[in-house]
Amino acid sequence: MRSQTFLRYLLLGGVLLFLGVFLLLPIGTVLGVGCDLQLIAELFRNRIYVEGLWNSFAIALCTTGMVFVISLGLALLYDRYDFPGKSFANTALLIPMVLPPFVGALGFKQILGYHGVINALLGHLGIAPVDFLSGSGVFWAVCFIEALHLFPICYLNLVTALGNIDPAMTEAAANLGASPWQRFLKVRLPLMRSGILAGCSITLIWSFTELGTPLMFGFTRTTAVQVFNGLTELESNPIPYALVVIMLAVSALLYLVAKLALKSAPAASGGKGIVNANSTELRSWRKFLPGSAFGVVTLLAGLPHIALICCAFSTRFSGTVFPENFTFENFELALSNALVLPSIANSLKYSFLAMFIACAAGLLVALAAVRWRLKGSGIADLLAMLPLAVPGVVFAFGFLGMSVKFSWASLLFDPVNNPVWLLSIAYAVRRIPYVVRAVSSGLEQTPEELENAARNFGAGPFRTLVKVTLPLVTANLIVGGLFAFSFSMLEVSDSLILAQKQEFFPITKALYELSQILGYGTGAASAFGVWAMFFLGATLCAGALLLGKKIGAVFKF
Amino acid sequence: MAEVLIEKLTKSYDGTVKVLDGVDLHIAQGELVFLLGPSGCGKSTLLRILAGLVTADSGSISFDGRNIMSLPPEKRRAAMVFQNYALWPHLNVFENVAFGLRMEKTPRKEIEKKVMESLEQVQMERYARSAVTQLSGGQQQRVALARALAVEPALLLLDEPLSNLDANLRDTMRREIKRICTERKLTALYVTHDRREALSMADRAGVMHKGKLAQIGTPDEIYNHPADSFTARFLGDVNGLPCGGGIRPERLRISEEKGKLSARLLERAFFGDSCEWLFEVPGAGKVLVRELGAPARTIGKEYFLDYDEAFLIPAPESDDEK
Repeated sequence: MRSQTFLRYLLLGGVLLFLGVFLLLPIGTVLGVGCDLQLIAELFRNRIYVEGLWNSFAIALCTTGMVFVISLGLALLYDRYDFPGKSFANTALLIPMVLPPFVGALGFKQILGYHGVINALLGHLGIAPVDFLSGSGVFWAVCFIEALHLFPICYLNLVTALGNIDPAMTEAAANLGASPWQRFLKVRLPLMRSGILAGCSITLIWSFTELGTPLMFGFTRTTAVQVFNGLTELESNPIPYALVVIMLAVSALLYLVAKLALKSAPAASGGKGIVNANSTELRSWRKFLPGSAFGVVTLLAGLPHIALICCAFSTRFSGTVFPENFTFENFELALSNALVLPSIANSLKYSFLAMFIACAAGLLVALAAVRWRLKGSGIADLLAMLPLAVPGVVFAFGFLGMSVKFSWASLLFDPVNNPVWLLSIAYAVRRIPYVVRAVSSGLEQTPEELENAARNFGAGPFRTLVKVTLPLVTANLIVGGLFAFSFSMLEVSDSLILAQKQEFFPITKALYELSQILGYGTGAASAFGVWAMFFLGATLCAGALLLGKKIGAVFKF
Repeated sequence: MAEVLIEKLTKSYDGTVKVLDGVDLHIAQGELVFLLGPSGCGKSTLLRILAGLVTADSGSISFDGRNIMSLPPEKRRAAMVFQNYALWPHLNVFENVAFGLRMEKTPRKEIEKKVMESLEQVQMERYARSAVTQLSGGQQQRVALARALAVEPALLLLDEPLSNLDANLRDTMRREIKRICTERKLTALYVTHDRREALSMADRAGVMHKGKLAQIGTPDEIYNHPADSFTARFLGDVNGLPCGGGIRPERLRISEEKGKLSARLLERAFFGDSCEWLFEVPGAGKVLVRELGAPARTIGKEYFLDYDEAFLIPAPESDDEK
């Protein structure tokens, strides 16, 4: 028994060491340089940086507002009504997640750009073209694209929260004379608080620190883009460090507030999750209304993807309503570009390594916290979830700083000559929360008695783990691994900042570079984006098939 | 099958809540012993300590004279039938039953033979390739029993194995378990809070109270000669008598002519094969009488109650004793 406990503590110690070195140290490195009062004061004196912060904050608030309205409406419809195609509509909502929003931005420009579909349509109607993406238009475009990408996460949280409300609670309110509106406002909304907080805080942090979308739209006055652009002159201007510190502080504050609010949120469940126990079946034409609402949102969210596909399969999709001349030329161009094939191989290499690292660390954290209940496992669990509150830009900067500051790190993490481990570990650390949540939820739903039974029938601790525990949480581990792999394949911040030499570029950096090439760049980048989209789509479908409705648990903290 | 000796076993949680307080118990080879008691009396904890799933604070446990306290669960050969069966959903019926044998590295042919024998014994052989999730509660219970039988344990532990079954199935399973234990001459410890189960099946039964073994003996001994009022009342109804003693309702006889106590009939409850009569007895309060059949009697009329003093048992005490 003692050696078994010792081994468990040894493994936990290993994970804590890993998290300490590759999670806390990068953050510490950034703080070490950026926590300079003079630097921060200089930052706040500079009108451009303050505007960047303000814009980032405004983007976060507007995006979260849009996400909340869209997901609350859809979640209420899903919970309240039975309608044809309900289950399909629910799955179709995951579509926006199959593309990083910055690739979506590429498609969106095809629709709303000066030479985009809308203006072509207006031209046919004899109306002068409008520059939708100039002035404040670009701000709203960034918010809209991010909202369409992020609302499924909030939606999944809200559906779960609604499903957990005991129908007897609203029935009791109705019984005491509350109108449907009062029941919603006084009973359901307060009881959904934990779901709202979880969904909205992830959206808020995510959109506050998003780099790819504003970068793609050329909206440079946001903090993340300013940090990215400041990379090249880091030696002479250390302001980006201070910007990163401010981003970290704001994200950490938002995370803490959400955590505290979550703690005080009332328990919504009456013991059993009675999903849709109160669903109403609509009659005649009304039964198609909820499905139509889902359809409109899915179509809107899918538009950038459709535009991207159209662009990828046509030689001309500029100044026209529909794409012209169907072709595979863009795919050929993309594949013949020196950037593309090596970037696919690089991304596969980094992402496989990241997946294995995230799965090993995540599994150990979940086991230590949920099953072994070791002292210190709470800290490991907390640390493992920290990446949700820390922007990718902060980590990327931290790793960069570490490679300069520590000689051992410069050997392992040479961003110029050998960034394989640097990128793999950077990807892995940010994906550990998905693995921890997926495996923890599997372990919590598996009765411990099954493992006790295995011990009782002659299996030692290791064989119990291999023969009983792991098979019972395999689906969860696979889903965590799939998320770790696919999100690593399409990771933006670390890829754009840490991959500095063309031969080490991963897919996203190659995509970004391709899109900047004048002439054939957009078509080739779109073709490349289509491949990425189908890749992530297949991964999410596999995850949804394996986990079913429990897939929402992966996006919680 | 082993002879089991438990000595001065103690266990407390958080250092304060004493769940087991110096329990001594001897189980002879091939004996079926029951542990009875209310929720929280420590009976399941004792079972889990025997299985090695919970560590005792002090005391000793030996199987055939060999102290097993330091052995991990997998080395004890104390197979358990769990209350919720704990069948592994990712393995089919055959693999669930074969699990313990595979852990022992039993040859494949022998595994096949032993698994099928065990399944036959619980009449589940035709479900060998079925998924355990497709079985009914009763069938799952049989598989859990077969899994424990297959490893030929030194001690069979049963933790309220029938509590999730309906009344009819429970009666059938009681007879099955008793038959299997007798046929295989199993040394078994069976935990339940159902006194009917214990009294009908046990070779010996012990009543636990506040972490101690209040009394152990044959079903007849503990029912008819309980050592204290707690045991008496836990195993069945007890009437307090004016003389200070207690008596079970079925030991009282109702008469219209003579008897030790005069009593006024208050209520009648009819159960088909038997009847319960509630009387008011001066100096004793309400007294319950149970008898087979249902003769006609008049509510409110005065009767006499008689009893044999050989059947007097400890009278119920204050509620603190419960």
